[in-house]
Amino acid sequence: MSTLRKNSPDVGRRRFLHDAGIIAAMTLLPFSGARAQAQETVTLPFENGRRRLVKYPQKRPLIVLTSRPPQLETPFAVFNESLLTPNDAFFVRYHLSDSPPLEVNLDSFRLELKGAVNRPLSFSIADLKSQFEPVEIVAVNQCSGNSRGFFQPRVAGGQLANGAMGNAGWKGVPLKALLDRAGLAATAAQVTFNGLDNPVIDKTPDFIKALSVDQAADGEVMLAYEMNGEDLPMLNGYPLRLVVPGYFGTYWVKHLNEIQVVDKNFTGFWMNPAYRIPDNAGACVDPGVTPKSTLPINRLNIRSFITSLADGAVHAKGREMLLRGIAFDGGYGIAEVVVSSDGGQNWRQARIGKDHGKYSFREWTIALNPEKAGPLELKVRATNRIGQTQPMEPLWNPAGYMRNVVETVKVQVV
Amino acid sequence: MKNRISSLVVVALVGASALAAWGAGLKIELPLETGLFEPGEHSEIANAQCLVCHSSEYVTTQPPMPRAFWKASVEKMQQKYGAPISAGQAELLVEYLAKYYGAASNTTTNPAPQTEPATVPPRPDAPLLLDGAKVAVKYGCLACHNEKVKLVGPALNQIASKYRDDTGFREKIALQVTRGGSGQWGSIPMPPFPKIPESEVKAVAEWILSLK
Repeated sequence: MSTLRKNSPDVGRRRFLHDAGIIAAMTLLPFSGARAQAQETVTLPFENGRRRLVKYPQKRPLIVLTSRPPQLETPFAVFNESLLTPNDAFFVRYHLSDSPPLEVNLDSFRLELKGAVNRPLSFSIADLKSQFEPVEIVAVNQCSGNSRGFFQPRVAGGQLANGAMGNAGWKGVPLKALLDRAGLAATAAQVTFNGLDNPVIDKTPDFIKALSVDQAADGEVMLAYEMNGEDLPMLNGYPLRLVVPGYFGTYWVKHLNEIQVVDKNFTGFWMNPAYRIPDNAGACVDPGVTPKSTLPINRLNIRSFITSLADGAVHAKGREMLLRGIAFDGGYGIAEVVVSSDGGQNWRQARIGKDHGKYSFREWTIALNPEKAGPLELKVRATNRIGQTQPMEPLWNPAGYMRNVVETVKVQVV
Repeated sequence: MKNRISSLVVVALVGASALAAWGAGLKIELPLETGLFEPGEHSEIANAQCLVCHSSEYVTTQPPMPRAFWKASVEKMQQKYGAPISAGQAELLVEYLAKYYGAASNTTTNPAPQTEPATVPPRPDAPLLLDGAKVAVKYGCLACHNEKVKLVGPALNQIASKYRDDTGFREKIALQVTRGGSGQWGSIPMPPFPKIPESEVKAVAEWILSLK
């Protein structure tokens, strides 16, 4: 699990920082100065895992993977706060140096819908809000490379622990409604999505993603202007982002301002060769092996986490241990969560919490009664409604995508 | 669900004082980027080339990896992302990265969380980029401009001597940086860099002006 080890000797102050009131006070400080970036660090549990905690606009202090473009990871403890990930703690991932946009003016911002359509269209955010019936959905957005830092052998890429995921309520307009109004040409094959973020060198491929026409018009793919009841934070795509429920975050294009319907399959860099997975059931190969054939990464695979206890926690013998966590998959829905307290030999069924929809985090809880003092190896494993479950041993692929091994938390009973 | 959302709104509003909202829309200011590369032989290439497109953490947060890893990374930057790294520079850059961020192999096992991190620790306390020279490094100006030699763009001391007595120099260079352009020094256009904050443009202009 992504246990954060705290390096600062001033642990008391950090606890203090976790208090929302203190975060309010912090925002009064200029956050561009060195002082505001005081040496708050955490160490993620893999080699070279030391990271700064820095407060970005509209965010609480988050784990800095990179500062330009910003890539920020959610401290794992946040996932035990609430089933919806707060906007100010939601992870941030950009690809290109000229991002995020530092300002967006709604008077001039337009979403263009063009290409193989009968009527090219252009919308302001106000148009989208006034001309279409809004829809809402709770859905997990997870980075393809979430947990990449745990890959063994290690692979190149953003060295993330488990915090590049989040669950939010998204509100916006179904893409289908826009496509229906524009009218798809008979030749339409795919729909591409581009945002305001740009590279700084002409030769760097712009970040453009594609979905099939069928998926784009499935009624679930959405253009979201709200997240958890608020405007999107700038770093999560203000003023408009694509939401592709059940799909990895790479498709959830931020600052979306251009939708193009195309006649052929789009083959831009960010669809091929980037964001490809081995074309087999586990999306895996033996370590070091180059996959024979690949396909674009797509649906989330099933995962589950213990959120209420972190590695190294100490529990008093004889006291009930209330365990809590989350499970999610790519939209089939969580059917069962089982927990082991003996390293995977025996399993007990956890109680599944309220259903917020098949794309949401699903809470689970279980009460354990550890009777013996000593180390306890807790494991959690989820199964979805079509029988997919998590592997006991991690699977490997060269890009470090889709890690979903059964997670283990080691605690001490004393 | 409703309750959760309204409690989240409070959290979001708490953070809102960090923003300057104007009219209809949103403006933000990002924290200063930190971190030059570890000083060492050929680190100037890393500072000039890598920092054109990304901050140093793209390198410093990688696990200690063998030379082949860094060679592949540099080639990827050249071939996939169009980084203007010459063959000669690429070789030296690989040497530098392998020496300062490398390891004999990548088969190390995950240490337990209790063990000390990283033999090659990242530098959260690396120098802040404040003065003009560092701004130039930060935004990759030096990929095309050398202080004394014409590269893709004119030598910076040539710019300084041309404009030293021009009272409008600071405004001119600010426009050149933010809007780009061509014709003053040749036909190769300079791309616009509209996102560089005014304070940093000023700092870099002062620095250029100081070059002899």
